[in-house]
Amino acid sequence: MAISLSDCRVLIVDDNEFNRKSLALVIRRAGITQIAFAENGAEGLKAVDSFRPDLVLLDVDMPVMNGLEMCEALRRNATHEELPVLFQTAFDSDQEQVRCFEAGGSDFISKPIKPGECVARVRHQLEKRKLFNDLAAFRARVQRELAHAREMQHSLLPEKRRLTAVAERYGLTLDAHFETSSELGGDFWGVYPLDNRRVGFLIIDFAGHGITAAINTFRLHTLIDRFPMQDCAPSQWLMQLNSALKDVLPTGQFATAFFGILDLTTDTLTFSAAGSPNPVLGVGGDIRLLDSAGLVLGASRRAQYVDQSFRLPRGGFLFLYSDALIECWGDEHGPIGQSAVPDFVRDALVVNRTHPLEPMMERFYARTRQPLRDDLTAVWIARRA
Amino acid sequence: MEFQSRSTPDALEVRLAGRLEFTDHDRLRDIIDALEGAKPRRFVLDLSTLEFIDSAGLGMLLILQEEAEQRNVKMIVSGPQGDVKRSIDLAKIGEIVTIEP
Repeated sequence: MAISLSDCRVLIVDDNEFNRKSLALVIRRAGITQIAFAENGAEGLKAVDSFRPDLVLLDVDMPVMNGLEMCEALRRNATHEELPVLFQTAFDSDQEQVRCFEAGGSDFISKPIKPGECVARVRHQLEKRKLFNDLAAFRARVQRELAHAREMQHSLLPEKRRLTAVAERYGLTLDAHFETSSELGGDFWGVYPLDNRRVGFLIIDFAGHGITAAINTFRLHTLIDRFPMQDCAPSQWLMQLNSALKDVLPTGQFATAFFGILDLTTDTLTFSAAGSPNPVLGVGGDIRLLDSAGLVLGASRRAQYVDQSFRLPRGGFLFLYSDALIECWGDEHGPIGQSAVPDFVRDALVVNRTHPLEPMMERFYARTRQPLRDDLTAVWIARRA
Repeated sequence: MEFQSRSTPDALEVRLAGRLEFTDHDRLRDIIDALEGAKPRRFVLDLSTLEFIDSAGLGMLLILQEEAEQRNVKMIVSGPQGDVKRSIDLAKIGEIVTIEP
């Protein structure tokens, strides 16, 4: 890669006026016009701060402060850690070269100055610096944007305040945990008050994770508002969502889903599922996995879904989660696995009867390697006794 | 995930081993290339030695199905076991892909 050196700034630090002039002459011929000079290390450090060079050409033996001391001082300062420093040194002295590298030098140019070699080494360092800076700037920009997108993704989920309000309105305990495996993820969940006696719960997991999956959660969010939940069975609602997702998702991308409506007057949970992990239903002392098999959303226009109804009276609970809970593992423990989830819930209830999500998450994180390999969502929905 | 492919007069057989997951997306291209090169009548994806499949892996099965259809090749997924079979059943992939025990 050939870059223009015209906007590069070079500081020459040398106590010998003839050397300063000849070095300047050589690099000026290569197109570098912004050149500053210093006569010893102490002056050099000041010039680095005021002139802000992209590269320093540094002599070793100088009065007041020598080149090695100046370079060491530069490297102690985080701002100048990456500033290229080229020592001028006699190339046959192995020991001196080692000392220069130990002081933090980037490379050498041999004395007496050979113009071709000097320009080649200067150019190499400046190009490397430019690539590094470009990459660092790119990285910083992507990080800023991802942080912003992450906030947007979290804003799709029910806020704490809203959860509390819904919980109060319907006499529920609602606790939720959401963590993406990288900055962004493909999980989504929501709670939807339908009327005074019915409230809907939705949990969705797009295949994969990261940016692609996250974009799908934003797509989903706009689709959800398009299909009213009030007047249709969960299975019909999933069918509408399925067709809409099939229109926008490329092959290989899909979502698993669980959509349930809790009716407080009939104490009934009616749900339809599309391949989400088996939810856990607890009524009385009975804790069981619900069958949630169903063709994943967005894979086929012909997909059909079925409704199932279960009693969910006061004191009962429903636990929803994404597959990370049962598929992630740690160094000492394998994954929890689908069939062990009822026991996992039972154990947590012993620790905290009203808010078992907390001990469940503690236990999950204690046994699981982090960062997580997949996005984790877990939602605890209980009817107060 | 590791895979081995074998051609018979009318079929391409690809046997997957290990874990088929999110990080295997690049390997998918290799399988599609094998399909492209072999031009078989049938494409048998043998999952009998596959230990784990995640949702991204299931997505890859759907992509392979579409790639096979586009080439007028009949794709058959054969012999999923244990957790892999459970995941395929849960997501009802059998409604789209032909699965043989």
